[in-house]
Amino acid sequence: MTRHTRILMSVLYWAFVVYLFVPLVLMVMMGFKDSRFIGFPINAWTTEWYLGVFQNAQVLTVFAYSMAIAISSTLLSLVIGTWVAVFLGPARFRGKLIVFALTCLPAVIPGIISAISLRIFARLLSIEPGMLAIILGHTVHNVPFVALVVMARLSTQPRSHVEAARDLGADALVAFFRVTLPYLKPALIGAGIFCMLLSFDDFVRAFFLGGYQPTLPVLIFAMLRSGMSPEINAISTIVLILTAVLGLWAERSMRRLNKGV
Amino acid sequence: MTGQRDTIVHLDKITKRFGKTVAVDRLDMEIMAGEFVTFLGPSGCGKSTTLRMLGGFETPDEGRIVLAGEDVTGRPPNRRDVNMVFQDYALFPHMTVSQNIAFGLELKGKTRAEIDRRTGELLDFLQLSGFGDRTPEQLSGGQRQRVALARALAPDPKLLLLDEPLGALDAKLRAQVQVELKEIQKRTGKTFFFVTHDQDEALTMSDRIVVMNAGRVEQAGTPEDLYFRPVSRFVAEFIGETNLLRGTVRGADADAIVIDWNGMELRGCATGHRPAPGEPVMASLRLESVQCHAERPAAANAIPGRIVSRLFKGSRTALDIRVGERDDALIKAYVDGADRESLSQEQLWISWDEKRLNVLKDGA
Repeated sequence: MTRHTRILMSVLYWAFVVYLFVPLVLMVMMGFKDSRFIGFPINAWTTEWYLGVFQNAQVLTVFAYSMAIAISSTLLSLVIGTWVAVFLGPARFRGKLIVFALTCLPAVIPGIISAISLRIFARLLSIEPGMLAIILGHTVHNVPFVALVVMARLSTQPRSHVEAARDLGADALVAFFRVTLPYLKPALIGAGIFCMLLSFDDFVRAFFLGGYQPTLPVLIFAMLRSGMSPEINAISTIVLILTAVLGLWAERSMRRLNKGV
Repeated sequence: MTGQRDTIVHLDKITKRFGKTVAVDRLDMEIMAGEFVTFLGPSGCGKSTTLRMLGGFETPDEGRIVLAGEDVTGRPPNRRDVNMVFQDYALFPHMTVSQNIAFGLELKGKTRAEIDRRTGELLDFLQLSGFGDRTPEQLSGGQRQRVALARALAPDPKLLLLDEPLGALDAKLRAQVQVELKEIQKRTGKTFFFVTHDQDEALTMSDRIVVMNAGRVEQAGTPEDLYFRPVSRFVAEFIGETNLLRGTVRGADADAIVIDWNGMELRGCATGHRPAPGEPVMASLRLESVQCHAERPAAANAIPGRIVSRLFKGSRTALDIRVGERDDALIKAYVDGADRESLSQEQLWISWDEKRLNVLKDGA
């Protein structure tokens, strides 16, 4: 690589970083602006928007609601996804590829289509729009991710681990819970956090499947319709920090768990 | 040595097929309590399949496996008193050394106190004291191997299976572990079923070696039996180095079989079969069974020869000796380093104990 191309490459890279972060920085800055009007110049700073968020009962309720949905759908996805991976991974049967493709399909179907179809399906099953419907919707969407990650991890587990457990007196179930499941731990943590973020972030499914109680993205959307306000910036900043911290922590702990195993 | 002992395992004509391949073919074998028996053979000979059937990881298509008087043929691994040391040790990475060893004891429903006592005993016994709280990845290869052994011994199995457990160790450590393993087997009095493709391991440790080839037993016997009295070409070649001599049976008397090899009369013996005069045969003569003399010896089996090459190997020297009229009649021999002086000239005489020249049942 010549010197010129190297300089060009790094300039392009930094331009990309700026493009990535300037909007975020702007959003964070506006959350501290002491004015209802979003935009420059910023003449005075304040933390009142943030205080407002923490005192706003509706925001807090919605946040808790979104968290509850994220946690429940993640737990469900982990159980079902692991179940799928464990039974589909090592099995050999005709049409396995088709079953596998069907398993992965919900991950690639456009959100709006799956949201509408799930809404219709939920009504058919007489599931009221609301928390349960959203949880089920998110679970359908997230199971493929869990299944894929767990299957990948499972394929690296030496067969002898399970055999050793069986040899030492464990039946298939005990061997799974005491040997295979701990081996899957890094995959489950990683997939779990990914699912939490996907669920927490989801707007389309929550919008179509939700009842009167909005999730956080739906609430932000509703607040936007009555005009942009620095309070939205404050909420968004808090969400940004929480998700970034969670994501980075997950990445780090996964790397540590993966080492040497 | 195994005379008065009880049979602990009876493999009753077991057969295992994988698709069209017959991995194990009507294997019929008894294993005595307290015996160190080694199944030896090249990869694909059926030794590992036999081990896996004993462990319960494969079910024989035909035949029965009887363990301590009980038919365990169809039982899963968790319901037979057999434990295994895996080739890759298969230690549970998320458990400490102590937890690994305790695993089988917990599943047997032992009390905490019993588990701790037994785990402590085994840690001591296998010189792992102080390593109990480490994880497997913090151990060396030799230590992992000992943990795997401790874990398999912990539930006090009737039979211990060892699947090439020394394969992952380097040569020096392997030699040391061979001695240790034999010592542990003697001290625990356990029946060891050892599988390997390494003839050195087999010769060093075993009370009895079973040589397998293509799913069948070629020969079973003590290491000395197999080494000095191989019955087939496969065994003669698989274990140690040997001269394979193709000849014709000329006759037999009470002690020996006389064969004609390139016009020379060689006296030898046969184990388990009696070749008829006129039959073409192959005989095996170990390199170190050939004695070299500067002068004609008094022995009955003595033929003159000429050294065509010498290879100095430190403790001994390998000689290629041409004997008889024809150019391709070569005999290889090992002589002690000390004998080199007396054999400085080209011409020499070779002789052998007739019990050491083995007429094989096949190969001719």
